[in-house]
Amino acid sequence: MTRGAVVIALLVLAAACRRPQPGDPLPGLSAAERAQFDSGRAVFESTFTAEVGLGPLFNASGCAECHEDPVAGANGDEVEHHAAVFHPERAGATCDVLADKGGPVFQDSVTPALHAALGIDQEPRPPIVTTIAERTTPDIFGFGLLDAVPDSVILSYADPDDKNHDGISGRPNRFFDGRLGRFGRKALVPSLREFNDGAFQIEIGITNPSVPVEGTVAGDSLPTGTDPARDPEIGGRALVLTDMFVRLLAPPPPLKQSKEARRGGEVFGTVGCTGCHVPKLPTGDNPIVALSHKEVAAYTDLLLHDMGPERADICFALATPNEFRTEPLMGLRLATHFMHDGRAKTPEEAIELHAGEATRARDLFKSLPAADQAALLAFLKTL
Amino acid sequence: MQRSTVISLALLVAPVALGAQQHTQQPTTAPAVAPAAPHDTVRGAISAVDVRARTVDVTSGVGFAIRVVRLAVPADVPITDREDGTPDRITLGELKRGDVVRAAFGARPTGFVAYTIERVGTMEAGVASTP
Repeated sequence: MTRGAVVIALLVLAAACRRPQPGDPLPGLSAAERAQFDSGRAVFESTFTAEVGLGPLFNASGCAECHEDPVAGANGDEVEHHAAVFHPERAGATCDVLADKGGPVFQDSVTPALHAALGIDQEPRPPIVTTIAERTTPDIFGFGLLDAVPDSVILSYADPDDKNHDGISGRPNRFFDGRLGRFGRKALVPSLREFNDGAFQIEIGITNPSVPVEGTVAGDSLPTGTDPARDPEIGGRALVLTDMFVRLLAPPPPLKQSKEARRGGEVFGTVGCTGCHVPKLPTGDNPIVALSHKEVAAYTDLLLHDMGPERADICFALATPNEFRTEPLMGLRLATHFMHDGRAKTPEEAIELHAGEATRARDLFKSLPAADQAALLAFLKTL
Repeated sequence: MQRSTVISLALLVAPVALGAQQHTQQPTTAPAVAPAAPHDTVRGAISAVDVRARTVDVTSGVGFAIRVVRLAVPADVPITDREDGTPDRITLGELKRGDVVRAAFGARPTGFVAYTIERVGTMEAGVASTP
């Protein structure tokens, strides 16, 4: 073998042994799947303008404007606003997600044409709104694996009446058609595809074959001429490719754990964090081999838990204002803010902000010796 | 009907590819009135019932793109309960907020008109992905 051939062989070997990085695809994709992933990334990283359909109401001009740090698909520093109506003092209080106003997402930006027509800089919040919530941009690494977890697995962790008396009573949220929800901070959306397709319209104002008509301005129609692009503004192939990019994003592999971090992982279980942050979930049958019958180290049960009145914001379908879906912790080391609204700047602050069903685990953490607290935090920083 | 409601209804005219909103199909029972294009179905949660005006509001959507469709329900529209598998006829007044229904409907100049309404479960209890 020539010296050049040896070098090439070593480079190929090194590439094969390279640890997956954030933004990489799942291992084991077929060539066709990998091609769809790459093409989907291009759509995901596209920037839309008003001429091709952006808005007229929008939160971002493309997926990667928010899911950006450090790579496409990661988290971001943007905060958006969701609103709902909930009157707990009224008998039989029900949640109004403002469906007749276009839903709970109120866009914070408008195109120049809409600004000229209505003189607004964001979608106005209707006066009936009782709560406005802030939502940060989560990373979406590994979400294809979460999508592949069977409903039966998620429901097996539900204990709505706390029959095992551990103080933790996870319960499922449901979409409006009764299907089990799992995506979104309140676990509303049943499938990744629906989440992605809906996001094109609700976040970017891009109509598509799944959501073929523009939204409204808090329930009122768009003024004539403010949305010149023809609907749908992207086609079905762009939806499929974007979905494949998101679906096939690998979860960031945990870092190699020090002895301290390994001990921290044990402490994480001992104090009860794993009551909600379930370390591993299995996937079921899936047409994509890379998603089929895998274990995903998600650290979530995808269920709703009461986080206490201090954290409460909007209701969302069956989720009460106090209830939030257990946040997946995969990729936690890449996050720069924590909790659904980003108010925690460190994992320590996030633990401190846990309440409700998490009160016992939080208090046990706070009562730990400093070395054990440090170990648990060291563990979290490997995820 | 309020302007905003009309707009919300318009958002649901075109058939969508996914999830809660089913592909266009013929109703499974004889329609109360002859279907006129566009003809669609929706599966979602009842958010309001007005027995006197004979209308139901159904909340549905795709992801966070959440919409509501108001359906007029003529007196001869078949309303059935399929929660336990076999269809039982029920009245409009028996539908309640949180019921999950599947409705076939068509467009009229005055809004959408239901052809059939089936109650398939409740949000609280859940409905399987492909009932």
